[in-house]
Amino acid sequence: MNSPKAQFPPKDKAAAALVEMCSVRLGQSLFGVPITHILEIVGSTRPQPVPLAPAFVGGLVHYRGDVLTTVSLRQLLGLPPQDGPQDILVLESSGGCFGLLVDSVGEVLTVSSADYEANPSILDERRRALFAGAYKLKDSLLVMLDPERLDPMHLAEAKAT
Amino acid sequence: MDELTREFLIESQEGLDRMERCMTDLEERPQDAGLIGEIFRSVHTIKGTTGFLGFKRLEKLAHAGENLLGLLREGKLTANQPIITGLLQLLDGLRSILKTIEADNSEGEGADGVLIGWLEELQAPAHAQATRHARVKADAAPAELATPVTAPSAQIPQSAAPAQKMPVQAEGEPVKPRAAAGSAAESSLRVDVTLLNRMMNLVGELVLTRNQVLQATAADPNLTLLSRRLDMVTADLRESVMKARMQPVSNIFSKMPRIVRDLSQSLGRRVRLQVEGQDTELDKSLLEAIKDPLTHAVRNSLDHGIEPPEVREAAGKDPEGTLKLRAAQEGSHVIIEVSDDGAGIAVEKVRQKAIDRGLIAPERAAQLAERELLQLIFLPGFSTAAAVTSVSGRGVGMDVVRTNVEKIGGKVEIDSRTGKGTTLRLRIPLTLAIIPALIVRSVNQSFALPQGALSELVHIPPEKAAASIEWIEDAPLYRLRGKLLPLVFLEKLLMPGGQHKLTNERDNFIAVLDADGRRFGLVVDGLADPEEIVVKPLSAVLKTIGLYSGATVLGNADLALILDPGAIALKAGVNLRAEEEASGASESESDADEGKSMDYLLVEAAGRRAAVPLASVLRIEQVPVSRIEYIGYRPVLNFEGQLLPVEDSGGVLAAAQDNPEARIVVVVCREGGRHVGIAVSQVLDVAGGGELFEAGTNLPADGVTLLKERVTGIVDMGAIPPLPVAENVPGQWEQIPETVA
Repeated sequence: MNSPKAQFPPKDKAAAALVEMCSVRLGQSLFGVPITHILEIVGSTRPQPVPLAPAFVGGLVHYRGDVLTTVSLRQLLGLPPQDGPQDILVLESSGGCFGLLVDSVGEVLTVSSADYEANPSILDERRRALFAGAYKLKDSLLVMLDPERLDPMHLAEAKAT
Repeated sequence: MDELTREFLIESQEGLDRMERCMTDLEERPQDAGLIGEIFRSVHTIKGTTGFLGFKRLEKLAHAGENLLGLLREGKLTANQPIITGLLQLLDGLRSILKTIEADNSEGEGADGVLIGWLEELQAPAHAQATRHARVKADAAPAELATPVTAPSAQIPQSAAPAQKMPVQAEGEPVKPRAAAGSAAESSLRVDVTLLNRMMNLVGELVLTRNQVLQATAADPNLTLLSRRLDMVTADLRESVMKARMQPVSNIFSKMPRIVRDLSQSLGRRVRLQVEGQDTELDKSLLEAIKDPLTHAVRNSLDHGIEPPEVREAAGKDPEGTLKLRAAQEGSHVIIEVSDDGAGIAVEKVRQKAIDRGLIAPERAAQLAERELLQLIFLPGFSTAAAVTSVSGRGVGMDVVRTNVEKIGGKVEIDSRTGKGTTLRLRIPLTLAIIPALIVRSVNQSFALPQGALSELVHIPPEKAAASIEWIEDAPLYRLRGKLLPLVFLEKLLMPGGQHKLTNERDNFIAVLDADGRRFGLVVDGLADPEEIVVKPLSAVLKTIGLYSGATVLGNADLALILDPGAIALKAGVNLRAEEEASGASESESDADEGKSMDYLLVEAAGRRAAVPLASVLRIEQVPVSRIEYIGYRPVLNFEGQLLPVEDSGGVLAAAQDNPEARIVVVVCREGGRHVGIAVSQVLDVAGGGELFEAGTNLPADGVTLLKERVTGIVDMGAIPPLPVAENVPGQWEQIPETVA
């Protein structure tokens, strides 16, 4: 990964908390998921497709004796599907566990809340609904993903309304 | 909560359960000293332990009850109606305090003064009788059906009033005496249900792994013995763990006498309760799941089914109605029946009500047959009660029963005759976790089809593909033994725009499914082996698709979605009506079906033809002759880890013996409670058998049937001798691998 360590908190130390983020690569963009929400990272899987499922469902994988529904981040962002195996972040949300299909999982970054900025208004509606702001890294941006908003149940509801 | 309190709670609950069972018996046999002693002990134990743990409120109440029971035990009082009602109130009182303790670890605030006072009042025999009677008179007037009946209030005196002499007796088999409880306690152990659930999950995983090992080692002769051993042990282990979760239905049946008693009093009915098959066992989680539907069904029977005594008398029936609860095991299902001899369901009323409520269009309602009209009561928002009563008739009713039962993979059937009564039948699977399924292929994926819904498979070779399907406009139909079967193409269903005809490039398969009376053929691309699959729940978002009831991991580690035949039928528009239209042409034939005619599997064994009743055929397996093993002279087949006696009256085995490569066909049948195999050289067809009559006497001929215009002998499975007795079998198993090797 080319992203360096996040800049350390500026002067007002009290306001700036450090957060650990797992970085995830998808196409050209770098995304971050708070590691506190990650149960496990499963590499190189080929999920079993589910006919008639909503488009954002990436398929099913066998995970520790259970069958896990996955959400395809590529599909959510309207990117073309990728051939070949993808990595899965097993995430925990209030609705239970689900998997997030990404191209590859990178290192864990420590970012400071001082570098946080909310979603810019220029983003389209779909992305505004999915992203939870971004952290400014030294030479790139780490776009935040909120597991709650990626939960398949939440996505299904959002789609319905 | 500390260990001691928890232990106390569990023990007390058990004591109270025991007490409740005894109470219903006591009503029948008020003089039975054994029963009174048992109840006394339960209350006494609670009192003793509470004093020690410092639950003052509980102790006081138990003490009052103990005093009354003491008098009963010494014979100074006899258990009459008011006393029994009082004791039942005591039971409720104790239960509710225990519940509070369980919830907040304290007894909570509550006035038991009224109940305690009343229990003391009951100790003075004459006095109690007099006051009770006075109150009874006051509300003795039976509530009319049309007027709303008030809820049995929580106040003790009112609900306690034994409105009329309406004894509710539990007839049939008495609940097993609990005298043996002491010795049973020593050989049994209390286990946390979560631990059992975990074991069940692990066994599920083991079954999965076993399936994978079996597939991986199938080709390697060195591992065959080991993997077969693993196969057997796993099967045994699974059965044991499943057994550990089994509980007799008496656990929920025992609650019914009380409900029937209370309800019949508040509704002004006279009801006799008959209970049958209390020993039938069911998985604990399933038992929990059917508790509410069953209670609901019983309430319905009392409220809508059984008429008030005077109406019954006017109709020339016994003023006392009969409510029958029956449980029995049938194959891999447990049947629970709630039947009453009441008024039955007024079909015309149902039709009218459904139209009034806007559940169905009038023109469509006019077309429905009686059987279909009965199904309407399962629609949400349907209730025929003329008045809304506290008991039932709030518009939530049978639909909830059906939803709950279907949630656990069960089925609900209803049967009603005007003036004769109604029978509600719940068909519950024995276990939830593991089901036999057929793996089918479509859109390059595997899917699991539960065998419960599968009635037969039809193979259409490529060259016949084009001619096999007939069309009514866009509806594909297949002519199965003269009847038209609506077809659903799985590929088309799963991929809008998919194939809609049979291909002539490869084999086609039709799985004939029967889901809730909807019969249709599902066209799939290919068939794989049947497997016992472990059902894994799907996430909510995939459940809403509605076609899948779960997912599973197959032996080859692939994931497969489990298809829900009922949902497929609905989605594809196959309904009861369509099926009737389709089979309308052969109406007379289906009438004959209900009579004597049966379908038979036509088989050939060493040149001779024979018939096997289709209803008892479980599976048809093709096996190499080398898989057949011998116990003494008896040929047996190790079939899914179980020993299957193989009947070889056709001499198929003997003929194939010289050639170890030869494959034979074994028809696996259910005969009574056991399974047997019949060795045949090939399966020819399935056909409806015709009745044959002896010339002159006109008596039906036994053991033969007319199949395809030829007289064919029916295989007598009852004549297949059983295998050596159970305790010998393990020893036999040890030997078999050696004889094989």
